[in-house]
Amino acid sequence: MSKKSRSKIWFLVHSWLALPIWFFVLIVCITGTLAVVSQEIVWLANPDIRASKPSDDAQALSYDQVVAAIKQAEPQLLVESISTPDEAHFALDVGINYPDGRSVTVYVNPYTGAIQGVSPQFDFQAFTRALHGWWLVPFTNGYSWGWYLVSLLGLPMLASLVTGLVVYKKFWKGFFKPIRFRHGARIFWGDFHRLSGLWSIWFIAVISITGIWFLIRAILGDNHISISSEPIVPVIARENVPISADGKPAAMIGLDEAISIATQKIPGFDISFVSLPSNAYSHLYIGGRGWYPLMFQTANINPYTGSVDTANLLADRTSLEFVTESMRPLHTGDFGGLWIKLIWFFFGLLLSMMVLSGLLIWTKRTALATAHALKRSNQPARSSTPPRAVPAMNTDTPEGNL
Amino acid sequence: MSQVTTTTPTSGLSRLWHKWRFHLNILLLLVPLGFMPKYFADAALFRGDSGLGERELGEIQVGPWSLRLAELRNEAPRYDGPAGYMKSFNAALCEACIDQVKATYLRIGKPRSLRAAGVIFFGTPYRMGATLPVAEKTKADAELWITMEGWDGSMHQAAIPLSQASPATIAWLNKQGGKP
Repeated sequence: MSKKSRSKIWFLVHSWLALPIWFFVLIVCITGTLAVVSQEIVWLANPDIRASKPSDDAQALSYDQVVAAIKQAEPQLLVESISTPDEAHFALDVGINYPDGRSVTVYVNPYTGAIQGVSPQFDFQAFTRALHGWWLVPFTNGYSWGWYLVSLLGLPMLASLVTGLVVYKKFWKGFFKPIRFRHGARIFWGDFHRLSGLWSIWFIAVISITGIWFLIRAILGDNHISISSEPIVPVIARENVPISADGKPAAMIGLDEAISIATQKIPGFDISFVSLPSNAYSHLYIGGRGWYPLMFQTANINPYTGSVDTANLLADRTSLEFVTESMRPLHTGDFGGLWIKLIWFFFGLLLSMMVLSGLLIWTKRTALATAHALKRSNQPARSSTPPRAVPAMNTDTPEGNL
Repeated sequence: MSQVTTTTPTSGLSRLWHKWRFHLNILLLLVPLGFMPKYFADAALFRGDSGLGERELGEIQVGPWSLRLAELRNEAPRYDGPAGYMKSFNAALCEACIDQVKATYLRIGKPRSLRAAGVIFFGTPYRMGATLPVAEKTKADAELWITMEGWDGSMHQAAIPLSQASPATIAWLNKQGGKP
């Protein structure tokens, strides 16, 4: 096969990768872009989740102080979990239970312990993630087929990156080529598509590879294959849970004590969330980051004795887990604060625009090709494609027949 | 999708594809629209906005204590791989027993001892859940046993017919026709 016809085929593959489902791909890109900054969007829209300081020198409360403040304000509430978001301008997310059985997240001011609001029924953050992540298809038996539908797009996305670079001759020289604005829409969108594609090489690679990982994860999960080294946590043995003569619940250690025990035993453990024991035989579960920002460490602490019963630390992870567990944060961009999120958001927008510009180029070229084809003969355009009249790129392609 | 067709599109299938391929987008967009009511119903179910579960069984007396029991979903047990078929129940303890009950368990058939009381409930006394394995050979007249353990070491039990606890599970068992 000649070099020319080979690159022609590459080009055809590139132009066809997302085409019949372009709008689906576009919406997946846009929802993903929104999901990156969904927490920030909620921050802008809802004052309840802002961590306003009562005074400039206000100190953040400890978790025990937070629980005490909630108990004082609403003695009936039961706290299930507390989580400190990555960025200091967000209020604490506290999982609580109401006596009427509602199990919701409330936003608590980290400096005063005041409950600023209850998470709304429409959770924008969860909704955009569900829409982007599994197209809202429910999980009934293993992974939802919507998850497969979306994560499969990682394959054509990676293929479009590779074929795009193959057909773009000497692409490494194109990083500073200006976009031509005055030569019509076709030229403009072509320049835009190429330039943003070049600057997005790393991003498209990251998103498509991590997207393919989500596909692999679902396949592994649905076949019950586990690569995790996380220890299975046995319940606290019956004989180790105290019986109290007066029939009252046995005393448990405080959250601050548990955190201080864990941070003493595990150096560099930066604890940012706790889950209280979910029954008399289960552990206090704490977690947070270590030296590697993309992964979390967790530990299970016996709430009666304070012993660290199991831990899943960075040092315990296999090198394969370092790769696989890094995939999710690399996809979502939520591992380094606001600026990383904004970079991911910007390139997410650019990627969405590339889907759109790709389609526009395709449409314009097709329109051109069709006009050529019609001009050349009285034959109906769909019956055959003239071999030379249309640009080389369009010959033999179904797009010439539209 | 990325196939390069070099033949002229004359075959029926190919013509059909060319005419309708962009309608795939519409079909794909209908998917989340169709699942949206289900998504919000599920979100409300897990928040507890729509009650303890999809089907509430009411208050059940267990010795001196009582609890409200509900099927999380009014449906047959779900298959969960090697673990077999699982059925989820939610419960809420009576107000007076919140401080006295150490643990609550569920089991199909009478437990021989407290150590074999079945699956334990996780959560707070206001709202807790347990996921119960249901063997495919379970008899339709089986009973669901609730065991409650006190902080003082006491134990109380109660049983309700499985047909009352989950009619959908009974229907599922009957449909299988007593598989071995």
